[in-house]
Amino acid sequence: MSKKIIPFVVAIVLSCLVMAVAGVFSFSGLITAEKFGDRLVWSQPYNTAESMKVIDLTGDGQDELFLQNTDNVSVLDGAGNSLWSFGYSSPKTTLGDVNKDGIEDIVVYYVGIGMSVDVISQGQVQPLAQALDVGFPSRVAVIRFTSGPQIVLGDNTGGVLSLGLDGQPRWNATVGSEEMRGMDDALIGGQPNVVIATHDGSIGVYDAQGNAIWTHSQEQLRRMRAFDLNGDGNSEVITGGEYGAFFIYSAVDGSVLFDKSLGQPISEIRTVELNGDPSSREVVVGGKEGGVWAFSFDGTAARQLWTGSLSDKVTEIAGLDIDQDGKEEAVLGDDSGQVAIFSADGSRHNLSSHSTGITRIDIGKLGGDRYVVIADGSQVSTNKVNFNSIPGFQFTPLLVGLILSGVMLVIAAILASIPPKPEMKVSFQDKSRESLEAERRMLKESIADVERLRKSGEMTGEAYLARLKRLRADLAENETAFKTAGFQIRVETFKCPNCGGTLELGMDKCEYCGQVTLS
Amino acid sequence: MEILLCGGGIFVIVMLVIFFYLLNTARKKAPAAGAFGKKNFAPVYISLADKPMSILQGMNRLKAEVQRTETAGDKWRWIPMLIFFAGIGLALVDVLLLLLGYFSLVFTAGGVVLWIAAIVMARSIRRSDSLDFSPRYDNLKHILYTLRDDLRPGSTFLGHLDLTGSMLPTKVARSAKDTQNRTTNYYRDEWLALKAKLYDGNVLRVSAVQKSKKRASYTKRSRISGKYKLKPEKFKGSEQDLKVRIVVNPELYQIGTKPALRRGQNVGKYTITDFSTEGGIINLTASSPFEEVDHEHILNVIHSAYSLLERKAA
Repeated sequence: MSKKIIPFVVAIVLSCLVMAVAGVFSFSGLITAEKFGDRLVWSQPYNTAESMKVIDLTGDGQDELFLQNTDNVSVLDGAGNSLWSFGYSSPKTTLGDVNKDGIEDIVVYYVGIGMSVDVISQGQVQPLAQALDVGFPSRVAVIRFTSGPQIVLGDNTGGVLSLGLDGQPRWNATVGSEEMRGMDDALIGGQPNVVIATHDGSIGVYDAQGNAIWTHSQEQLRRMRAFDLNGDGNSEVITGGEYGAFFIYSAVDGSVLFDKSLGQPISEIRTVELNGDPSSREVVVGGKEGGVWAFSFDGTAARQLWTGSLSDKVTEIAGLDIDQDGKEEAVLGDDSGQVAIFSADGSRHNLSSHSTGITRIDIGKLGGDRYVVIADGSQVSTNKVNFNSIPGFQFTPLLVGLILSGVMLVIAAILASIPPKPEMKVSFQDKSRESLEAERRMLKESIADVERLRKSGEMTGEAYLARLKRLRADLAENETAFKTAGFQIRVETFKCPNCGGTLELGMDKCEYCGQVTLS
Repeated sequence: MEILLCGGGIFVIVMLVIFFYLLNTARKKAPAAGAFGKKNFAPVYISLADKPMSILQGMNRLKAEVQRTETAGDKWRWIPMLIFFAGIGLALVDVLLLLLGYFSLVFTAGGVVLWIAAIVMARSIRRSDSLDFSPRYDNLKHILYTLRDDLRPGSTFLGHLDLTGSMLPTKVARSAKDTQNRTTNYYRDEWLALKAKLYDGNVLRVSAVQKSKKRASYTKRSRISGKYKLKPEKFKGSEQDLKVRIVVNPELYQIGTKPALRRGQNVGKYTITDFSTEGGIINLTASSPFEEVDHEHILNVIHSAYSLLERKAA
């Protein structure tokens, strides 16, 4: 192949490779230019909200912001103005329509006259029960059993007391011996039950009469949540352990559906519709050391979708479809105040950070607009999150590929235009018989000279062999020139089959490489 | 943040290395001096077996071809640098996107590929660079040109011009060790061998040899610290030997009884070290302490050898 063609062939092959790679990147949708941003709409001082929810608590069709911390229960309107605020001692709260007026009420389990329960309905506080036979507040939930709603209270020593909507105790139970780390409704055959978990690793599912359907014990746990992940009418109970054990149990019988060790304490578990497929919900898990994992569960098996990380303990996870593509993005907050969005493929986009740790994140409509509400150690703020992308950016690899291909072809053209470097070993040889014979004599004289120098000790070893090799090669060239010109010549040289060095006919061993030869 | 700074730092260092490499390619430098401060020359080896004018034309052609290759390379010398800057331009598109809040590495990846292409091109252009031809190349041309009309019609110059280097491992004639067990290599470089049948029937042989001496590197233990130290090789000097042999045509010449030459006589840069006229053959050896000897001095020695001849009466 001509040396002028080779650069073009190489350039064309490389260009094809570059364009193929560019095509793969362009059409796989891997290349995007997207950014998430946020804008603060309003903020109000509020210390370390333990519970927060965007929900309609007034019945006006507009959502309000419910907040609760260790000494206060407040509700703000869509513009951040306080609607009502009540002081409580160590309250735990839940939301549910207790008085059956069609509007969500706030149930407060607190330390009052003994252990007490209040119901706040549209700003009106109504004491429900006092001096209850239950310990220090840890968890409260309104469970809509088939037989009717009950308020289930959990204390910090594993004690459980269920109240009717009239405030009368219905049943009690004991789950483990430490504080509650989760209390949720769990569906079994479409019927609601309550699942309760304590820090010592005890888990129990109880029916409306307080009968244990099943109980289980595992390693100490930090978080328990129950969701019907695949919409089959049976919930899955998801736990995150103190030492990284992640379990998905069936709420029906407590059998383990999935387990995995995540290597760090699990601090938060939430469901987020990451893949846009409503037949399954995805679970996003946050770790104490900032680890983030996403799992998809289809009812029989779970698989890990992606992993990511934040710089500190993940304190809250929420889901929001920011870019309106039918898939929710996971909004995570950590203990250092960082808020980040993880999109469906696990790519991370940071939002504005906060000066104190994030305690709660919720998403909802306030004043007609959809906001991400973030509570940190000192305030609660509503933020408008936006999404921007550059249209057609996915095709930029093709553009870059075209530029590269063009440059490579130009380089090939330039290199092809440079003539090859001439051979620096040249021979000026007259082809006449007389000249060739004279050259032959000269070469033989030179070989004799070299032999003489070797015998006299003036030339030894490698220098002798190198010079002899060159002269014999010249002699072989001379013989070739004789043959090419059609002159008779008695061949006196042959090539060593091993090293290619020219040797005199009759030699039985190559002087240069030691190969035995038969000539 | 630390990872970003560290990665960015490495990226900038790599970029600077590439930049200076390409800058060196773009600015054609004078050939670097070789060992012991000697200038390196193009490693040419020419076998001579042709008529003088053909040889001269061939030598001129070779030089022109080398020059043409070099000139062609020179024309595109700055292109790799431009490609490098184009790569930076592409990478800056990503920086711009980053400033706008978008994260992209597509253009940076393209820029890196352009840098690789620039390096490949720079290496190819560097390959078209060539070293200067040794002055001995032109010396031979002058000698051949001077003797062109003295050659017997139809005959050719024979021999070689070897400018591949005087101190190659293949040119070590012998080695010797001194009392401290240090090896000294003696090099014998026959850079010119020339044989010609002359118009007057004489046969002229000229052989120019450069003899060099170099002490090989060795390790020595320091008397103070006790550490072993590597001592570099050391050039100990060189000299030029010129051997001229004239087989005299007895029909035309006789060798003079009172030779005009004597041992120790200076002829140009050469000093006659030996000569004999036995058997109708003039053997003359001259040596010179100079590393380079011009063609005039070689021709002068040949001329001096010829001056020993006396034309017979017709």
